[in-house]
Amino acid sequence: MFNKRTLAIIKRELKMKLFSKSFILMTLLVPLFMVGIFSIQYFVQSMSEEQRSDLIIISDSDEILNKIQSEIFQTAPFKSGDLTAIFEKTELSDFPSKLKEIKPDIISQKITGVVFIPSTSLQSKGVEYYSSNPNNSSLFYKIKPSINKALVEIYFAGRLLTEDEIKFARKDVDINGYRVSSDEKVAQEGYGNRIAMVLFSFLLYMALIFSGSMTMNAVVEEKSNKIVEVLLSSASSTELMAGKILGTVIIEVLQMAIWLSPVVLLIFTSWFFIPPELMPQMSIGFIFYFLFNYTLALITYVALYATVGAIFDNPQDAQSGVWPLLMLIMIPFFIALGMESNAQSTLAQIASLIPFSSLIVMPARMILVEVPLWQILLSFAINILVLIGIFKLAGKIYRIGILLTGKKPKWSEVFSWLRMSS
Amino acid sequence: MNVLEVKNLTKRFGGITAVNNASFSVQEGSVFGLIGRNGAGKTTTIRMMLNIYFPDEGEVFFRGAKIEQNFKDSVGYLPEERGLYKKMKVIDMLLFLAELKGKKGSEVNKTALQYLESFDLADRKNSKIEDLSKGNQQKVQFISTVLHDPDFLIFDEPFSGLDPINTNLLKEIILEMKNKGKVVIFSTHLMEFAEKMCDSIAMIDKGKIILNGKLSTIKEKFASKNVSLNYSGNLSFLNNHPLVESVENFGNSTGIRLKNENTDQELLKILMANNITIKNFNVDEISLHEIFVMHAGKENGDVQ
Repeated sequence: MFNKRTLAIIKRELKMKLFSKSFILMTLLVPLFMVGIFSIQYFVQSMSEEQRSDLIIISDSDEILNKIQSEIFQTAPFKSGDLTAIFEKTELSDFPSKLKEIKPDIISQKITGVVFIPSTSLQSKGVEYYSSNPNNSSLFYKIKPSINKALVEIYFAGRLLTEDEIKFARKDVDINGYRVSSDEKVAQEGYGNRIAMVLFSFLLYMALIFSGSMTMNAVVEEKSNKIVEVLLSSASSTELMAGKILGTVIIEVLQMAIWLSPVVLLIFTSWFFIPPELMPQMSIGFIFYFLFNYTLALITYVALYATVGAIFDNPQDAQSGVWPLLMLIMIPFFIALGMESNAQSTLAQIASLIPFSSLIVMPARMILVEVPLWQILLSFAINILVLIGIFKLAGKIYRIGILLTGKKPKWSEVFSWLRMSS
Repeated sequence: MNVLEVKNLTKRFGGITAVNNASFSVQEGSVFGLIGRNGAGKTTTIRMMLNIYFPDEGEVFFRGAKIEQNFKDSVGYLPEERGLYKKMKVIDMLLFLAELKGKKGSEVNKTALQYLESFDLADRKNSKIEDLSKGNQQKVQFISTVLHDPDFLIFDEPFSGLDPINTNLLKEIILEMKNKGKVVIFSTHLMEFAEKMCDSIAMIDKGKIILNGKLSTIKEKFASKNVSLNYSGNLSFLNNHPLVESVENFGNSTGIRLKNENTDQELLKILMANNITIKNFNVDEISLHEIFVMHAGKENGDVQ
């Protein structure tokens, strides 16, 4: 299968693609696109934080009002002017009419909202918030600690507790995740690996679909161009398919390596600053594993895409024939994303071992948790067996499909090709 | 000496037998024609000879051994439906196809440039294929067929879709290759070309070889009992005549097939006796077209 003809085909693929505008654009644009997405998210978040909030804080208790006022005045948003607050004392029974009075201001957004802290909150810690946008978490983030602190301090004030005891009671539980792995190193873990998992899975998903579609279109074009018969008078269909797939694999792995290089530099050098909680914990070995796994995934999926290309003789029909393949990539991708909450669930374990899905789920799982070596090796063995099987089946269908033109074949016909001798 | 032997090739697609037990042989240094209507099985036969299709039954032998890659390397193939990579440059396209045949380096590069020069395409060597006219694309395709200096040339319906200039160009290539001692195999439904250019032929109809051998022998065999006639008068008295096997009107001429050899002079006498005005009486002359129609009948009428 690997000989001078395969090599000639690989060389042509490299020459045509590596210097093509689309390859250069993709290579440069994808990292920019990624950075762009994260920046937009960050930007949107910071925008919402900078938004000014004007609150009316109402209580039936002077004590509560005074305490909260002094707490809120000390907060950074208040000092910077992002938050203004008017404090009003209103009896419990008068609150509904008060609210009615303020309602037009809330609707016209003259004020952001009304916080109602009744004296009963000293027992229940129940606080009411009235606004046209009551789910504004960035606002809660600004005022919640002050309200909590004030209520706790009033509650314990008569109970002869020390300042430290009150501080402790006020404090929320803080769960820090520490990753326990077999190499005796216990590392504190932030969001870094979760972000990395989404990023790597997305790259894998996008690159597989993109390179698969490109190969499929190239095969359809060769077929509709009629060049394929000239090629087959020199090389066998297996050589042709292998050359095409390997050419694509080399280009795509190179592209992936380029895409991952910023991540590698980020993790293994101190050239860039990134908050420690966002820093992913992974070894250089994982990057190599990821590229190797990507190579297997590419061969498997590109072979399937090339086969679909060989079955049809125009891009429209090929697009309609490609959906089973899309499912084979999309379902594992969503399983991988869903694994963020628990990468050790039974579904995650099974999905990381079964054919096709393993290629996408296993690397994602490995970013989140330490996967036992036997599972990694088993998934390798399964993937390689599947790859060999796919190559054989694809070769058969490719050989017959590639010279057929005219009527769009039915799937039942395609399956019957598998039983043919050639 | 037979350089290529096709033995009992059969190929089925679903329920249809495209080629049925086809056997023929091709001699060293000859021009061989595979003749038949559209859909007769010519392309399928050629694809099996090139190992593009695996036959269901039968084998193809090249110099006594089953065909393998070495045969593919020594063949230049021009398929009926031609195609090139549209985005590739002319010179890159030529060198890529030569490399697939195992030829690369400065030598083949030089030859490619020489061919481009002789086909008036030297200034287009860096143009993309898609920027060339259809006629020029065909020229590039011819060059790619011969660039690696193959011992065999296989052309599938080579004259279909060619303009008159390229038709002549291709004829010249075929003759030049023949003079160089190469084997040229081509399929065609155009009897006139086959008759002018072939040393040997195989006629294929509905997947079966109905006639095959040296063209001169075949014509001799049919001609000695054959008379080609241009006349005016009424020939109906020849129907059921003891001398005559059949009378067939070919339009420009009428072919009379005799039951026995060397009875042409008797026929001439009878025609004169029946007051037929004879404008042309040709013994030993039969066109390939006549032979084909005799064997395969006149249906479809796509044989010319």
